[in-house]
Amino acid sequence: MNILLMILSAIISLVTGMFFLGLARKIMAMIHWRYGPPIYQPLIDVIRYFHQRAVSHGFIFDLGIIISLIGSLLVVFFLPLGNISSFSNSGGLLVILYILILSPLGLALSSGESANPNASIGISRKLILTLSYEFVLIIILLSLMSQYQTISLQEIVMLQARKVWSFASWKLILPGIAYLLILPAMLGFRPFEIAGASQEISAGPSVEFGGKYLALNTINHGLLHFITIALFVNLFLGGGDLFGIFDSISGTFWGSFVSLIIFLIKMILIFVISVFINAVFPRLRLEQATKYILYYPLSIAIVGLIIVVAIN
Amino acid sequence: MILFYMMIFAFVGAFLIYFAGKSFPRIKEILAVVISFLLFLFVALLYGKDFQINYHNFLGFHLFLRINMFSWLFALTITFLGFLSIIFSLSYMKDKKNNAFYYMNMLFVNIAMLGIVLAGDLISFFIFWEIMSWSTFLLISYKKGSALPASMKYIIMSIIGSLSMLIGILYLYDLTDTTIISQLSHIIRFINKGDVIFVVILFSIAFGIKNAVIPFHNWLPPAHSEAPSPFSAILSGILIKMGVYGFLLLFYVIIGLDIIFHLTGLTIVLNVLAAITIIFPTFLAILQNDAKRLLAWSTVAQAGYIFMGITYGTELSVAGGIFHFLNHAIFKALMFLAVGAIEYRTKGIRDLNSLGGFIKKMPFTFAAMLIGAMGLIGLPLTNGFVSKWLIYKTLILNGSPFLAFAALIGTWGTILYSYKLIHNIFLGQLPAKFENIQKAPFSMKMPMMILSTIIIFFGILPGIPLQFINKIIVSFGYHPLNVSLFGIVSDSGNLNIINILAATFVIGVLIVLFFRSGRKSVRVDQYDNYAAGSFIPKEKYSYTNSFYAPLDRFLNSFLKDYIDIFYCKSAALIRHFCNGIRKIYTGYVGSYVMYILLFLAVLIFVQLNWSVF
Repeated sequence: MNILLMILSAIISLVTGMFFLGLARKIMAMIHWRYGPPIYQPLIDVIRYFHQRAVSHGFIFDLGIIISLIGSLLVVFFLPLGNISSFSNSGGLLVILYILILSPLGLALSSGESANPNASIGISRKLILTLSYEFVLIIILLSLMSQYQTISLQEIVMLQARKVWSFASWKLILPGIAYLLILPAMLGFRPFEIAGASQEISAGPSVEFGGKYLALNTINHGLLHFITIALFVNLFLGGGDLFGIFDSISGTFWGSFVSLIIFLIKMILIFVISVFINAVFPRLRLEQATKYILYYPLSIAIVGLIIVVAIN
Repeated sequence: MILFYMMIFAFVGAFLIYFAGKSFPRIKEILAVVISFLLFLFVALLYGKDFQINYHNFLGFHLFLRINMFSWLFALTITFLGFLSIIFSLSYMKDKKNNAFYYMNMLFVNIAMLGIVLAGDLISFFIFWEIMSWSTFLLISYKKGSALPASMKYIIMSIIGSLSMLIGILYLYDLTDTTIISQLSHIIRFINKGDVIFVVILFSIAFGIKNAVIPFHNWLPPAHSEAPSPFSAILSGILIKMGVYGFLLLFYVIIGLDIIFHLTGLTIVLNVLAAITIIFPTFLAILQNDAKRLLAWSTVAQAGYIFMGITYGTELSVAGGIFHFLNHAIFKALMFLAVGAIEYRTKGIRDLNSLGGFIKKMPFTFAAMLIGAMGLIGLPLTNGFVSKWLIYKTLILNGSPFLAFAALIGTWGTILYSYKLIHNIFLGQLPAKFENIQKAPFSMKMPMMILSTIIIFFGILPGIPLQFINKIIVSFGYHPLNVSLFGIVSDSGNLNIINILAATFVIGVLIVLFFRSGRKSVRVDQYDNYAAGSFIPKEKYSYTNSFYAPLDRFLNSFLKDYIDIFYCKSAALIRHFCNGIRKIYTGYVGSYVMYILLFLAVLIFVQLNWSVF
């Protein structure tokens, strides 16, 4: 049963991730008054990349990108998708926080071996940016874990369904806002498209990737979009819950199905908003981005944590 | 008496190495390896023993050696790492002169540490502590040159620590009339709280200096970077953990749970110090450009995690702290050895800005360093993960989110400096002058291989070390953790490594198969790069120099080691002041007569006015 759930959640995340990439391009095109590619274009691209010749710079160049993808898929198993969750009980949010490291680290190792300075610059920027938004993310997660007194993501979702969504409760709205503010940085969207700046440093870490490497990188990219937004929906928007309307059928097959659909709809809404932000903003410099993150989202998050601690 | 004979054997062996090494140069390496291995074997065979012996009486003090689970775990780690670093030294020290002296001191340090953890009374503890401090001093200053000021800094801090500990021991003796640890733990409850706090502060200075807790940390970075690399591994892996042992001994064995956590404010102060010790050294490590200095700062930060674990005082945190001590000893020793291998092959280059691309030349060392760094970061399936998980979990669930924040953000800092270390040594472009670098010799590879294996082994099966640790925390008076072979079971969130392992394995196989089904890639060299149409000049086309330049600019403006600066300034001030005082020694007899007359005049004046005498 667990294995079936794992396969199912892997497929859902892969398909949704690809769909997100296509959706982003389509929406961007429409904002630019273009037709844009069909929504399944990224999938076609991935298949095409697979049949193209690629260069390799060595063993870690191959292994790193594989580690990166393993890391992303592992996180998916720890995320409850609606009522579906494979590994809800294996260490909780702390494990998620740690496995989230694997993906950027694998990518960093892989593109590090390519000996391309653009890649190294991209990695350096990516790690610094991540460090700065991680300050905020950790405080947000700590507020949630202190408020709900658990380190299990599954339980956080269930408690929200029983009471009120974190985003709607006054104690946790500040962490929610802080998460929304760093969401573009986590997705790598403008104004935080600093690591993968394509015009400036030739797409940074992925500059040397071609052929199947680029294919894996694209899949990974889609998965990272999926994970970032799924985490937000689970933490703040109650996961697959819709004001308890479908509580009567929970536990059945249809209950899981409906909760999954609700979950995905919530994700798409958040993603579309992020794409809008991406469309209208120019790119910041790294210093500006770090400063912004360490001023506004961080102070909001700290105030949120203080409120949570003071109340408990 | 077996413990006593073991110590005698070890000391005799250490001297033998020195004198035999003078007349038969080849024999000293063999002797060193054999003696350190025998020590490891002895200690391993003492598993499960619990006894103490009175080996000597001295000025009315009864001197004891004792062994139980707590000291056994530390003793095993000490002898094991000692053995491995002596093997590593075989090639590292091969062409150095006076290496008989090195091997003798190396054994001395190990024996002294063994003595510390086996000491059954505070006098023996203090004697072994001093032997350790002095032989460490000799080893740090081994390379001369810039190592001398580093070792001076170390020994001055050490002496301050030992003196403070000596006062503590005498104070305790005055109160309780005993220095035997097993008796102290009974008597201590009859002492009033104020005295206990005073003793804790005195001992904490000594242990804090060894454990490099801020504000006593500043000897560590220069000492670690200047010492010979195999000794840096010992220094960072276990020697500074003698502070941890001391804290555990003081808090949980001598004073005991029911007293130590009722001393108002003490744990809060210690926890805040631990949080500071995690955060600042982590960010200072990111700024370093010397490989060993970076690792040294990282050691300070990781010592902060251990300190946080043992001073937070829940069973999860204490277990996590002890486990992190064990893990840190393993992965930090591994990383120092890997850097040592690089240093050995490049004839002493540790500057991160001038290395690069070594993965092609020293792939084994790269793998070792990568595994060490993964353990240091605490990625799942390595040992560092479980110990950090224990500490985080207890910090979060017992309502200390700010301490948990310090611990978690420290992990992200760790990623940054670990990646910098790996990238600047092994990834990126290989400079042309290193084209002919050789692989690491076997005597260096073997210790690295053993340590890497242990990191993965403990990461997948954390239940094995945790069972030993469980026995220790039970002897401290805690409830045992509910440990299974693959993780920990509890009400508020479980940890199960086997799930992670299985999923990683299955996904890994699938992705590799998928990856191989694609069109085969072509291997290219490091100059075959995409540069967006621009010309690629060789040599300059590398980005290892100031890897985190934006962050450096940002941090450099305010992040400095203010405490070290403060100490150095005060030292300079004292020197200035003493130089001033020295001026009164003019060399004229006349001025000395004048001093005497002046002094008498002052005495007469005092007597006339206030009639004191």
